[in-house]
Amino acid sequence: VSAADPSQAGAPTFADVNRDVLRTLEPPGPLYLGWMCVVGLILTAGILAWTYQIFIGMGAAGKRTPTMWAMYITSFVFWIGIGHAGTLISAILYLFRARWRTSIFRAAEAMTIFAVMTAGLFPLIHAGRMWFAYFLLPYPNQRDLWPNFRSPLVWDVFAISTYLTISTVFFIVGLVPDVAALRDATTGWRRRIYGMLSLGWEGSHSQWRHYRRAYGLLAALATPLVLSVHSVVSWDFAVALVPGWHSTLFAPFFVDGAIFSGFAMVLILILPMRHYFRLHAYLQEKHLDAMGKLILVTGLVLTYFYICEAFTAWYSGDNFERASLFWKVTKSYAWDLWLMYFCNCVMPLVLFSKRARTSPVVLYIVSIFVLIGMWFERFNIIVPSLAHDFYPYTWGIYVPTATDTMIVIGSFAWFFLLFLGFIKVMPSLSIVEVKETIPQPVKGGGHAAH
Amino acid sequence: MNRREFFKVITTTGAAAAAGGCQQAAEKILPLVVPNEQIVPGVASWFSTVCRECPAGCGVIARNREGRIVKLEGNPDHPVNQGALCIRGQAALQGMYHPDRFAGPQRREGSALRAVGWDDALKLAADKLAAVRGAGKSRGIVVVSQLENGSLGGLMDRFGQALGARPRVTLEPFGYEWIRAANRLVFNRDAIPYYAFEDAEVVLSFGADFIETWLSNVNYARTFGRMHGFRGGRAGTFIHVEPRQSVTASNADEWVRNVPGTEGLLALAILKVMVEEGMVDRRFGEAAAGVEVNKVAADSGVSVATIKHVAHVFGNAKPGLAVGGGVAVAGSNATQSLAAINLLNAATSNVDKTVRFGPDSAYAQVTPYAEVAALAQAMARGEIEALLIGPGVNPAFTLPGGLRFGEAMAKVPFVVSFANQPDETTALAHLVLPDTHWLETWGDYSPREGVLGLMQPTMSPIRDSRPLGDVLLALGRSVLGTEEGKGPLPWTNFEQSLRATWDPVIKAGQWEQALQQGGVWKDVPAAAVIPKAAAIEATPVKLEGDAGGLTLLAYPSLRMYDGRTASRSWLQEAPDTMTQAVWDAWVEISTDTAAKFGIAAGDVVKVTSPHGTIEVPAYVSPTIHPGAVAVPIGHRYAPYHVPRYVRAPGAPMNPLALLPGAADPASGGPAFLSVRVTLAKTGARRPLAILQATHDQDDRELARHVDLRTAREEALRGKTEKPHDTVSMYSPQQYPNYRWGMAVDVDLCVGCQACVVACIAENNIPVVGKAEAAYGRQLHWLRIERWAEGKADHPHNTFLPMFCQHCEIAPCEPVCPVFAAYRTDEGLNGQVYNRCVGTRYCGNNCPYHVRRFNWYYYQFPEPLNVQLNPDVTVRQLGVMEKCTMCIQRIVAGKDRARDEKRTVRDGDIVTACQQTCPTQAITFGNLKDEGSEATKLRHAPRAYSVLDELGTRPSVTYLKKVVRTHA
Repeated sequence: VSAADPSQAGAPTFADVNRDVLRTLEPPGPLYLGWMCVVGLILTAGILAWTYQIFIGMGAAGKRTPTMWAMYITSFVFWIGIGHAGTLISAILYLFRARWRTSIFRAAEAMTIFAVMTAGLFPLIHAGRMWFAYFLLPYPNQRDLWPNFRSPLVWDVFAISTYLTISTVFFIVGLVPDVAALRDATTGWRRRIYGMLSLGWEGSHSQWRHYRRAYGLLAALATPLVLSVHSVVSWDFAVALVPGWHSTLFAPFFVDGAIFSGFAMVLILILPMRHYFRLHAYLQEKHLDAMGKLILVTGLVLTYFYICEAFTAWYSGDNFERASLFWKVTKSYAWDLWLMYFCNCVMPLVLFSKRARTSPVVLYIVSIFVLIGMWFERFNIIVPSLAHDFYPYTWGIYVPTATDTMIVIGSFAWFFLLFLGFIKVMPSLSIVEVKETIPQPVKGGGHAAH
Repeated sequence: MNRREFFKVITTTGAAAAAGGCQQAAEKILPLVVPNEQIVPGVASWFSTVCRECPAGCGVIARNREGRIVKLEGNPDHPVNQGALCIRGQAALQGMYHPDRFAGPQRREGSALRAVGWDDALKLAADKLAAVRGAGKSRGIVVVSQLENGSLGGLMDRFGQALGARPRVTLEPFGYEWIRAANRLVFNRDAIPYYAFEDAEVVLSFGADFIETWLSNVNYARTFGRMHGFRGGRAGTFIHVEPRQSVTASNADEWVRNVPGTEGLLALAILKVMVEEGMVDRRFGEAAAGVEVNKVAADSGVSVATIKHVAHVFGNAKPGLAVGGGVAVAGSNATQSLAAINLLNAATSNVDKTVRFGPDSAYAQVTPYAEVAALAQAMARGEIEALLIGPGVNPAFTLPGGLRFGEAMAKVPFVVSFANQPDETTALAHLVLPDTHWLETWGDYSPREGVLGLMQPTMSPIRDSRPLGDVLLALGRSVLGTEEGKGPLPWTNFEQSLRATWDPVIKAGQWEQALQQGGVWKDVPAAAVIPKAAAIEATPVKLEGDAGGLTLLAYPSLRMYDGRTASRSWLQEAPDTMTQAVWDAWVEISTDTAAKFGIAAGDVVKVTSPHGTIEVPAYVSPTIHPGAVAVPIGHRYAPYHVPRYVRAPGAPMNPLALLPGAADPASGGPAFLSVRVTLAKTGARRPLAILQATHDQDDRELARHVDLRTAREEALRGKTEKPHDTVSMYSPQQYPNYRWGMAVDVDLCVGCQACVVACIAENNIPVVGKAEAAYGRQLHWLRIERWAEGKADHPHNTFLPMFCQHCEIAPCEPVCPVFAAYRTDEGLNGQVYNRCVGTRYCGNNCPYHVRRFNWYYYQFPEPLNVQLNPDVTVRQLGVMEKCTMCIQRIVAGKDRARDEKRTVRDGDIVTACQQTCPTQAITFGNLKDEGSEATKLRHAPRAYSVLDELGTRPSVTYLKKVVRTHA
């Protein structure tokens, strides 16, 4: 079914699209400002916590021997995962010509960039001497020191910076015609800024031709990154020796989980937008249905991976792997494991029902559970595996402190602050692509005469 | 601007910037004690002296760098410790550089001590003493000191005699009077002999904790290692009888758990079995005539079969050695027990072989506790006018609570303390005249006949303190009004007095040599003794207190001794080997008792005896006798510990407070095993900081063992099982010059923890405090793990020293993004602190978890920072660190070899842990050299690597413990 079935009553016109999208950029109301304040305050608390940690030392966070990685790396992997859905929607679905993506891809792309920006903070927050984090970059220096290219952390640096670059370029290129429309609709200093960002877009035929070609190429470039980034991140664990980490399963396992959580985050972001900006005409039930199906499918795949993970640990016959598995299932962190199974395996099953898939409330609730489940999945991989690894002498439980908890919560505030800012300065729906799905207006009579 | 002007500007602005911008306070430059030509910047000088942390009197060499002592090591020439030092000796530096040391003399004003000048302080003391003398109450003056049997002791006695004072009281809380009493009884000799562990085939110990504190723990641990360690098919046997599983008990091939106080009964029963089976001379049967083996078995909780088995093993030993008299089991019948043990030695003809009178221990010169108790009574009666308390003793803390010594002290009008740190006794003193630390002073000490240890100042005093000898001379002269060079105190300073004592001992011109060697050693002929096989009445131990209570086992702590070393934060943070607890005292309660009282580990328990009460957290142990509880002696904190490292305890933690004041009439010693206590939960919780998560290896074969028969076969024929080869796609690593490696003989490791503190001292390892240590953030590079196997109430413990394994295929190296962890071409696993970003990936990936992270900026409180080894980087916040195999010593060793135009020879380089190990369980060497000791051990049949199935190929080899099992 075409997204712009002309027979559909009340289908938007080109003029409606312009009006509805530009309406989202109107000066904010008290609700919006209130949310900005809340998010800003939480972020401030997070920044203060980080400052304190830099000043006092990593001891301010609850890490210890043997769990030398904990919530920061959990959040890092979580946010990288979130960053997946955007590129998946904009690039892969674009190449597959899945037209339902048009109304959500802009928000998803913005989400991707902000999520990667959030994720990128965590290696810095995590490093004992973050002021020397630039040692990881292969910059020319007098002593001919290079980073260690055998280390997965160096792979991360490359994978993530590449991903951020391509995603940002893709995002900016996609925005050009829309920003030009904004430029035309605004005056004063706004017009000058939008003018600069629109790169002199005039909508000429040759510009459209180049634009289309560039967009397609970038989509093709971005597609492998969707798979590579999280695979590389998963190797942080898979390459290590720790029982519970050392597994060849991790790359597809992580990619699937990333898509799963990414779609949940997209829903978390666009459902309120749909409600408050009354975008029901663009974000229709069939869009929600498609997203619900994707969450369901990725959730089922994830369940399969969980089974594989447990089975291989048991079937390996390896004392360390088995001990790690049985400990996780039954001991100190069992709550975490079972919470994860519930959120990621049981909750998405609701989406087998079409009514659930088309209900914004149900989708929202499921998405929240999925996000909780996926955060704890990463926590479960990192902390309990380390807490009960090879050496019984040092086994120990990680206890979060106020500092690291605040920093993690602050990272959510940072993400939402960026996103809230975005929806007020940029069109969060693609004017161009939404219009593409609407039949061309007929000269003179308009669509009403159809 | 020309060049000259440029430099002028640069230097002036630079100086101004440095002066203005420098945040650190100006550091006191330490004056040099020795002539400058001895000190070459960057090169260490070594001075030998004698360790005075306990009466064992081990020889020490102190490493002086640029005028400050940075490390202590055992004096290899000294006959007592033969190069090793115990954990307390290693930590003695923290006594010298103690942040709480008195800055100068202190005088009591109201409840506080106020600083006062030396002249005023000496005048005050002299006036008081003169007044006492003038009033004709000279007998009211008494000098109390630790065991000082050299020049200082002589000077104190002279001082006392000149003033007409009471005889000096030599106060040692652990005086082993019961051993002396039993020797008087059986051998007619008031002495404690030398026990030749090294010559014994079987050692049978009745509660003698010789690995921990008993008599001379370094000496006996070393000789025990020589006797017991598996070497070329030969290995001794060690049977230990004790109601709780101590470190010493853990080293036994057979630990026999008895009812507390039944050691003598068991010894007699063993003697009886030996007599009945004709293994020994019948005349010894008389002594054990009244003993029934069945009844002893019922009373002691030890089965008849075990008694017979022990008798067979001991009776067949050629020769054996029976020892006894550990503090924890010294009760009212201790003298009888020791007499019975003496008879065991006599019956099996061990006397003169393994029990050697002649080179007698200095312990026999300790004033018996009964006289100390008499002094306390005299004090309480107001008969004592002036009490002079020497350094090293803290009677207000280390004497039984029932004696009420502190209260008696309050009745003394004038108390002078010579302690250089605040303690419970200085809190009651009117005047404190701080003595110099023993590392800063002249002196001598003879731990046993024939060993004359000589002490010299190894550096200048870091605080305004004066040697006790000098102060006594000044005081004595000013009280007596004698002119210089006349009277009973003819010397101007203590050094002269020392020389006067030594001049007759050494030949002219050999003073320097004696100083260098750390003393003079002479062979002492054996003294012949004739044992009396008189009947011994085996009485049960007398216990005061609630008949339904639990017997209290108060035992000297391996780390705190009687409490005098508790102020060292290194020792507080070095874990107790058995519990792996740091920074706190505890009461060890058996699992059954804990279940009965509903006590969980970490519950604060009120322990009450008729004489006092303490409150300590519970440690629930399956091994201790169910009828007993055990509390380590000596736990207290120094003022600077609180609250920097630990919260102040609400109530006393020292079990001596629970003991009666009365001396045991038979021996004249204190009765340590003398009370029953009751337990009550206070409701509060104070979980112990326990570093080891579990003592169960979970089938991971970290600490491995082999039975004696297999070990012997393999020693003869070579290893039966082939080591599994690890396959690699890469070519093996090349080592152009050296490949460093280590071998640890788990069979020799006795778990004394000396290496842990040696490593701390050598490598500038900070102290983190109780909460951080409990949370897995301790920074020790080396740890002694205790792994328990077998029955829960009777486990077989193996001690495993664990530190960086310097793996050939190191999991930490490839994951480091910046090459901070890297492999050197000498086989070390290097760590570049400056390059480390602190991702901690290496810490996760190290399967041994020996990497330590700097979670904070760790402080070394002034003046402990003076102790820092200048050859080792002090790590900063946010970097990873770990064992370097003492790379600074490797570099120094290579430098020396290069200067001599040769390669490094085996034994040139000795790591800090290896150096101090009493049993020589650790060997360092070049693995490329087929002749090196480390390589030989690496190829020994008992060799294995920890977690070798991971393919890490460690450079550290472990040698399996050899277990002797009997059916």
